[in-house]
Amino acid sequence: MSGAQALIEALKREKVEYIFGMPGGANLPFYDALWDSNIKHILTRHEQIAAHMADAYGRVSRRAGVCSATSGPGATNLVTGIATAFADSSPVVAITGQVPRGMTGRNAFQETDVVGVLTPVTKYTLQPLSAADVPSAIRKAFHIATTGRPGPVLVDVPKDVQQETAEVTFPESVEIRGYRSKAPLDPQDVERAADLLVRAKRPLLFGGGGIRISDASQPFRAIAELLMTPVVTTLQGKGTFPEDHPLSLGPIGMHGRAEANKLVSECDALLAVGVRFSDRSTGTFSEFCKDAMIIHIDADPTEFNKNKAVNLHILGDANEVLVSLYSAITRRISKKGEDNPWLKRVNEVREEMKSIPAYRDSYADLSGPRIVKKMREILPPDAILTTGVGRHQMWCEIHYQVLRPRTWITSTGLGTMGFGLPAAVGAKLARPDVPVVDLDGDGSFVMTEQALATAVEQNIPLISVVLNDRSLGMVEQWQRLMYNRHYIGVKFNGSPNFVKLAESYGAEGRTVGSLDEFARVLKDGLSSQTQMVIEVPVSPEEDVFPFMPPGKGIKDTVYGPPKESAIF
Amino acid sequence: MRASKILSVLVDNKPGTLFRVTHLVRLMRLNIEGLTLGVTNGGDTCRMTFTLNGDDRTVEHVARQLMKVIDVIEAHTYGPQEVTARELALVSLKKFDPIQFGEEERQRLNVIDRSTAGVVVQIVGTAGEIDEFVRRAGESNVIDIARTGVAALPKEKQNA
Repeated sequence: MSGAQALIEALKREKVEYIFGMPGGANLPFYDALWDSNIKHILTRHEQIAAHMADAYGRVSRRAGVCSATSGPGATNLVTGIATAFADSSPVVAITGQVPRGMTGRNAFQETDVVGVLTPVTKYTLQPLSAADVPSAIRKAFHIATTGRPGPVLVDVPKDVQQETAEVTFPESVEIRGYRSKAPLDPQDVERAADLLVRAKRPLLFGGGGIRISDASQPFRAIAELLMTPVVTTLQGKGTFPEDHPLSLGPIGMHGRAEANKLVSECDALLAVGVRFSDRSTGTFSEFCKDAMIIHIDADPTEFNKNKAVNLHILGDANEVLVSLYSAITRRISKKGEDNPWLKRVNEVREEMKSIPAYRDSYADLSGPRIVKKMREILPPDAILTTGVGRHQMWCEIHYQVLRPRTWITSTGLGTMGFGLPAAVGAKLARPDVPVVDLDGDGSFVMTEQALATAVEQNIPLISVVLNDRSLGMVEQWQRLMYNRHYIGVKFNGSPNFVKLAESYGAEGRTVGSLDEFARVLKDGLSSQTQMVIEVPVSPEEDVFPFMPPGKGIKDTVYGPPKESAIF
Repeated sequence: MRASKILSVLVDNKPGTLFRVTHLVRLMRLNIEGLTLGVTNGGDTCRMTFTLNGDDRTVEHVARQLMKVIDVIEAHTYGPQEVTARELALVSLKKFDPIQFGEEERQRLNVIDRSTAGVVVQIVGTAGEIDEFVRRAGESNVIDIARTGVAALPKEKQNA
């Protein structure tokens, strides 16, 4: 069979349902081989969009999302999407066409060294140089993308490798010497962690994206309830612990919940699971949890002591470690009571924070905080919310309670504007049974709006709620608070009419004038099973608080707008 | 503190691995002052020995992050005192007079080419011994130098 046929057959064996991508000169043999296959091709209008779709599909489905592009510009257009998946440890397999082997290095038409370009932002890159090598390359790519700490893997296939025929065999498993996806768990580490947690007077659990990846929400919750420990999360880890749970304090970080930021600084033991101590979560590394014993559980040993020195680190899959940690704790204590000074302190801080300006009810009717709260009221608990990047995303961080794991799909590590709409398409294909809503800002939305064409063409129901402030709102906020209100390069004077824009793609477009109208339109959209864009005009002046200013510690979180014009 | 550190990396012997390793070295803005590499284990693996100028923390960060690179089997850092290290240099001289050098130093030297233009001397030794040889040979006497960079093994490994 040909290399291209081997490629498709190998993908079938990986049980691939969808390929997100675009054809071009160097991957035409691959596309031709798709003709006879049951794998569905989802045509995008830009390769970045294809990568985001595959990424979201991967985050929701637990399986690798597949995207494809031709050589040269097709491959380089993937870069932002692949880097986004890499930053958030999302399983993606990207398949690119490449110029024929004999043309390598001759500056051939549409030749780009995509292995060179993508190496820094992928978990691995492969380039099979014969048709016979294709099956093992694909098996390796899926194995690496989905095991251990997941990530994107590139398979770059020269056109003549796709065309040549060879005897091929399909390996069930592959040996990769330098790759250890699983480490044996050290039971002594678990016992030590249990001792530390049981002895702690003010313990706190800190959950990250690793909990979602290893499906460890259950043991994580069981430990919290056993120890009666309050729980904070990263932005990526939002929803790995139900945010309506009495022990949930919400996310910490630059725009974390005020009570979470306050109490994380007061704990004496922190159990950090599947987090990487990102600067956006912790603020100044050295100031973060300065007086606490920190236990760090992660599947990636290179994360230990990278940003934050910890007292104990446990290498392993979060689910496996937490299950044995739970039983180690139960051997020491039975369930802790609610009547202890630490929980009293937690409730005291909660009460105190209720009155901060950021939590006030006096936001305008059409404002980020009220819109996201209304969305939570209307959307069922298992609805998936995707977002762009900016203030709308931060308002979700603070005000939108995520109740189930894998229902909050957002770009945190790379902070990629334009992620939301393509992610909604990928998420919906992974979970057709639940509603999928993209909450976007106008700045993010217009970066990848052409994903609407794909949604309409493939009849994929989704709703995009666009908070339109005609500005790059988050940047404007920084210019207002830190750059003396010098608004440079943030105001949009040429925004599209979002209703007409949606309609021109064959989607429904609405704009709303009140919160009640928004609620009605959103409910309409949910029942209509169409593609709908709901524009919500909002003020560019409404800033996001709480706010931990960049370069500051988590204790320096500011709870509301300052009196002076420039504060930081 | 900035000083020369040795980064020793064992990798799968296949195309592209040096690129994956040096990407991280470049990311951390370290300058490569020496690099030797050669296949080991009957051609199965390749050992790369980098001499890097940088602070301990940065070099150790690179070594730790290298463990995530799939083609990397091992990565370790060493201070100059923790390894046995040797380097080879070819020094092209206008004139070479062995009498100029002591008995012990002469043993490290080997004349490998003589032509009308001059003499090519091979020297094997520590980086410091090579520096010293070049100084003694006289700067104006030196036509050109090619140094291999050090190959190094940790001291405890030889004792084990």
